[in-house]
Amino acid sequence: MNHDPFHWGRPSQETYGGYNYNIANASNHQQESQLDNFPKVHSQQPIITGTSVVSLKFKHGIIMAADNLGSYGSLLRFNNLERLIKVGSQTVVGISGDISDLQQIERILHELEIEQEIYDSDGGHHLRAPHVHEYLSKILYNRRTKMDPLWNAVIVGGFNDDGTPFLKYIDLLGVTYTSSTLATGFGSHLAVPLLRQLIPNDIDYENIEEDEARKVLENCMRVLFYRDARASDKYSLVTIKSESNEGESTPKKLSYNHETELKVEGQSWKFAKDISGYGSKQL
Amino acid sequence: MTSIGTGYDLSNSVFSPDGRNFQVEYAMKAVENGGTSIGIKCKDGIVLAVEKIINSKLLVPGKNKRIQTIDKHIGVVYSGLLPDGRHFVNRGRDEAQTFKSFYKTPISVPHLMDRLGIYVQNYTCYNSVRPFGVVSIVGGIDDDGPHLYMIEPSGACWGYTGAATGKGRQTAKSELEKLDYETITVKEAVKTAAKIIHQAHEDNKDKDYELEISWISLEETKGRHEFIPEDLLAEARKFAEEEDEEDEEEEEDDEEMES
Amino acid sequence: MFRNNYDNDSVTYSPTGRLFQVEYALEAIKQGSAAVGLVSKSHVVLAALKRNAEELGSYQKKIIKIDDHMGVALAGLAPDARVLSNFLRKQAMSSKMIYNRPLSTSKAVLSIADKAQENTQSYGSRPYGVGLLIAGYDETGAHLYEFQPSGSVLEYYGAAIGARSQAGRTYLERNLDTILETDSVEELIVHGLNALRDTLSQDVELTFKNTSVSVVGKDSDFKIYDDEEVQQWLDKLDSVSNARNRAGDDDADDNNENQETTEETTTTTEAATTEEASNDDNANEATDAPAEDRMETDE
Repeated sequence: MNHDPFHWGRPSQETYGGYNYNIANASNHQQESQLDNFPKVHSQQPIITGTSVVSLKFKHGIIMAADNLGSYGSLLRFNNLERLIKVGSQTVVGISGDISDLQQIERILHELEIEQEIYDSDGGHHLRAPHVHEYLSKILYNRRTKMDPLWNAVIVGGFNDDGTPFLKYIDLLGVTYTSSTLATGFGSHLAVPLLRQLIPNDIDYENIEEDEARKVLENCMRVLFYRDARASDKYSLVTIKSESNEGESTPKKLSYNHETELKVEGQSWKFAKDISGYGSKQL
Repeated sequence: MTSIGTGYDLSNSVFSPDGRNFQVEYAMKAVENGGTSIGIKCKDGIVLAVEKIINSKLLVPGKNKRIQTIDKHIGVVYSGLLPDGRHFVNRGRDEAQTFKSFYKTPISVPHLMDRLGIYVQNYTCYNSVRPFGVVSIVGGIDDDGPHLYMIEPSGACWGYTGAATGKGRQTAKSELEKLDYETITVKEAVKTAAKIIHQAHEDNKDKDYELEISWISLEETKGRHEFIPEDLLAEARKFAEEEDEEDEEEEEDDEEMES
Repeated sequence: MFRNNYDNDSVTYSPTGRLFQVEYALEAIKQGSAAVGLVSKSHVVLAALKRNAEELGSYQKKIIKIDDHMGVALAGLAPDARVLSNFLRKQAMSSKMIYNRPLSTSKAVLSIADKAQENTQSYGSRPYGVGLLIAGYDETGAHLYEFQPSGSVLEYYGAAIGARSQAGRTYLERNLDTILETDSVEELIVHGLNALRDTLSQDVELTFKNTSVSVVGKDSDFKIYDDEEVQQWLDKLDSVSNARNRAGDDDADDNNENQETTEETTTTTEAATTEEASNDDNANEATDAPAEDRMETDE
């Protein structure tokens, strides 16, 4: 080892040869020419993160929830983030993953809203969930093809052009899929099975009342708070519904309800004192 | 215009010996025959209104909107060459969006007008372009409250409390001068605007017109630029027509008195 | 013919604030054969008269499909229409690709309006020389727009462009109420063809070779009827030649009306000539200006 105070800690050149800066992108003291030899690197992980977004369809619309926490690794860094974004008058976009990318997506969506809903609008032509979803999926996929993804998983909820409930997922890879029960991140493991107990097949949402859907969603948020160390017990919830007669194309009386600062109710931590280690051993 | 025909008016960006840019003045002429547009800066917001001349009965009523939105909080109305007006508005939208993507906050109205003033002025500087054939009235609300501006083909851009352009501007201006801008609210100004447009239309009475009114107010529209609701528009138009009749009656009365 | 000083390019205003180059471009539309369009609550019909350059030549295409829900009819320079319709097709595809949504008719027409405006404000390009009627059916219903090279677009219940289109407009205005109320596509097409027929010159009549019809509307994609297919619609007309030209016409009112409109057109042309003449005076003034001045401007 080199003991010169200005090069302390470096392997001595006599023994190991000159230091190679290319190893693991170890330093930014590289020459321009050396940079060309190294692949260009974009973000490799999210920084501040939001955890699961959970959502499901019901008879008259959709319901979606996400907590208000922003984690910096395992540090609970922010407790007042809003991750459910309203786009246009009848669409919600729930975002998990990197928070700064969430904010970028939020700005993109607001720009979309202005372009589509405000410019030269002489009525009609509303921006609806399928349009927002398609647009977002193009943006996320485009970023991933540049190897510079927006590090998020997103659920878009609202109504189809024909007025039926719409729910669809997109993630940082540009993958999209749809289901009557959707969740991102930890929620896709913990919440989806609970949601599927209510809606076993996609078509079954047509028999579900709003209060049933809400009850299950609240339960999901509770289970996630128990089991997901990056979840908080404070969350927001959006319900979008239309009281339309079946078969009619235009939704009547459309309502968008955004509730904030909801708390996970009915917690019981009695079991906690019995857990030791990783929880496999019960005292 | 004694210098017409001396050759100094054949190209943009050329001064005549007495220091005028004729092409800019001619552009102004294009505006002076257009339908009347007005803007009112109220205590609590902005009202914009325009007289749309109906040139054919085959036109679809209520469509072909003339008042446009630059950003959620900023509206524009213009008189003159309408396609030029769209060009102007598109530039305004670009400026507003660029500003927002830089500073993550909506552009203030004075700043937007500063930028648009520069843009319009640029079209007076080169012989490869022509000046804008529109006078635009821009209104908006930002953190400093309501603002109203009018911008001309020369790029001249000033703040106003009441602005008017187009064919009936003289009538409209003299009516606007009677208003009390310290106390007037957008709700009142909507009716006033309808009345002013109606009066300004007197000069052009052989053709029908359609009225278009928009407003921006914290109370009525949460600071957004929107067309006024249908029922309010109908009410305003009715008010304007009734006022008109009353005025006429009064005049008749006066005449009778005199005789 | 005297040259007007202010009509050399589209970046020069006349002293009255007019743009002659742009106005001349509007004239180019009238050189083309007529096209008419009309809407009911649920459908839009376009009808156009095709020309063939010579007896053995094919007929010029007048109606272009943009997308399943949209199409245009043109009058004027056909190549310019191709440029614009290709642009519209691109817009329509982008809308499907990016937003999973058919392009709205209003967005479509405004996009070409803004494109056309650019050409009227800069040196070195000319305004487009074509007028378009854009027919579209979208979530807000059936729409008909007229596009002009000046960059103006307006939404109409009925419109006619091209040679002798005033007669077509007159027909549409007179029958506007029945057109708007009709539920039948067939009736709408017949009205369209009647309007088109009124634009015919003396020796021409509507045949399946020179007539193009298109329909778009509720539950029906944009469909063009050409050649043999158009015969079924021509069969529904009471006559395929212009009312003015029919011998022993009992509809005297029509005749008068048409004459009136012809007169009107003449007056406007006259007015335009006077206007130009006065400008020519200006031109003369320019020639009368001191030689030095002219030298300076010439350089």
